[in-house]
Amino acid sequence: MSAVQQLFSILLNGLQLGAIFALLGIGLTIILGTMNFLNLAHGALYLIGAYAGMLIMRVITLRTGLLMDLGIQNLGLGWGFVIALFLVPLVGFVVGVLMERLVAKPFYKRPHTDQLLVTFGLALIVEELVKQVIGGNTFQSQAPDTLLGLQVSGPISLPIVGGFPRWRLVIILIAFIVIALTWLFMEKTDWGLIVKAGTLDSEMVSLLGIRIDRSYALVFGLGAALAAFAGLIGTTFETVRPQIGTQRALVPAFLVLVVGGAGSVRGAIVGGIVLGTVLAGFQQSYAQWADIAMYALVALVLIFRPQGIFGSVEVEE
Amino acid sequence: MSENGSLLAVEDVNAYYGESHILRGLSLEVESGEICALLGRNGAGKTTTVRSIAGATPPVVRSGSIHFRGKDLTDVPPDDRSIGGIGLVPEERRVFSNLTVEENLHMADVSRNKSNLIRRNIENPAETVDVNVIYEAFPRLDERRDQLAGTLSGGEQQMLAIARALRQGPDLLMLDEPYEGLAPQIVEDVEDAIDRINNEGTTILLIEQNAIAAMAISDRCYVIDQGEVVFEGPSDELKADEEIRQQYLGV
Repeated sequence: MSAVQQLFSILLNGLQLGAIFALLGIGLTIILGTMNFLNLAHGALYLIGAYAGMLIMRVITLRTGLLMDLGIQNLGLGWGFVIALFLVPLVGFVVGVLMERLVAKPFYKRPHTDQLLVTFGLALIVEELVKQVIGGNTFQSQAPDTLLGLQVSGPISLPIVGGFPRWRLVIILIAFIVIALTWLFMEKTDWGLIVKAGTLDSEMVSLLGIRIDRSYALVFGLGAALAAFAGLIGTTFETVRPQIGTQRALVPAFLVLVVGGAGSVRGAIVGGIVLGTVLAGFQQSYAQWADIAMYALVALVLIFRPQGIFGSVEVEE
Repeated sequence: MSENGSLLAVEDVNAYYGESHILRGLSLEVESGEICALLGRNGAGKTTTVRSIAGATPPVVRSGSIHFRGKDLTDVPPDDRSIGGIGLVPEERRVFSNLTVEENLHMADVSRNKSNLIRRNIENPAETVDVNVIYEAFPRLDERRDQLAGTLSGGEQQMLAIARALRQGPDLLMLDEPYEGLAPQIVEDVEDAIDRINNEGTTILLIEQNAIAAMAISDRCYVIDQGEVVFEGPSDELKADEEIRQQYLGV
């Protein structure tokens, strides 16, 4: 591979990783920004999205877990990716709204430490439930062969880059459509206006006659839907197991938050792409340094720009 | 209107920040149509008074009552008070710096959305003022509609904070230190704006540390110290009362 080829391939892989990071970061950042609520269960929403996606798309064979003990060997609906694309965000939204009403709401006025403890507990419960019921083993990723009649598997020959997995291009496309829709929602609707204003000064919003806690459930649901959608996308190119919520979703989402800035959707998108590109760059060159490079970048941001690229609030000490 | 006809009646209010007792049996009344000034030194309890009236927490009002147009506000949340006609231009302006001027002013329309008002029982919601009327009154804001509020000058931000509150069509407009940090020329502009708003029928409660400026514009004054009213009367009377001015206002 020539250097230019290498560079473009890194950029494409970076966009793909970055889009998923951005989807995770947007949810976390708007929840933190508007409600001043730190949600360590955000990764659990990714986990729920991944398993829900897997079970809607395909039929899996159980090897361990409660359901297998009850005699169920094959689980799943096998409805395919397109149906999952619509259903999984819906599942995420409903779970998010329930999470907001039942778990988050009673803790809005409590210190961050309490919020961290209760949401971390919730994350552990979800992870353990999945492990006990569906099993602790790893399921292989599976991408669809065709999508609406178009072939989406196999490599495609791109100018400059050369051969590139077709499915990765599709992921980039779908993820950025969802990000664009979220962006439009934030920029063009009154709900988005409330969220943006609330991120800066939620008390002032209520002093202007707006019952802001009504938008909290919606914001939480929206953030959850995006995280679940990221989980669905994840199942098509990465293995699925109960630990992915924390490892592949929660940690990246927080890194995105630090880089992009708390409360900024724009920051989450840019932060996600920056982190994704750095990660992809190292994965293709010095793979063993990839994670370290990502944390080093975050550390640099914390030292030189503690409020993040687009943030208005500094990270608390 | 309450029994005695005041637009706003604060009676014997005790308000706390945590365990600190800030307002100690504070009472005041604002009559319909007047400009009433609330004066006092830094830390006297002026902002606590305004926040109590607006319904913001903290402070927590542990006893006493606040009536607006005769209605007890005890169980009325801040968002309902705003729609009911209590407007606030808060200390340090608090415009949404990440929104444009137009979006800041649009918040009044958002507050009157059906989805925002549903399942809320608000008697006599105040009628919002058309945004073009506001732009006519504040031409500088008209020129800067699409600019982010954070990029405005201090004076323009103050005008925006006032305009944002006015769009809600309040019967009572509370301004918390509107002159703070503004150049003398801009202070005059803000004073003119307050005068004009009042002439058009909005009652004003003006909170100021700058006693001279406040006495000049107001009809009546309250001076508070350590959460208690130490003077009330026409502004001219306060101008003549050197002792009170020296002791509580330092002028």
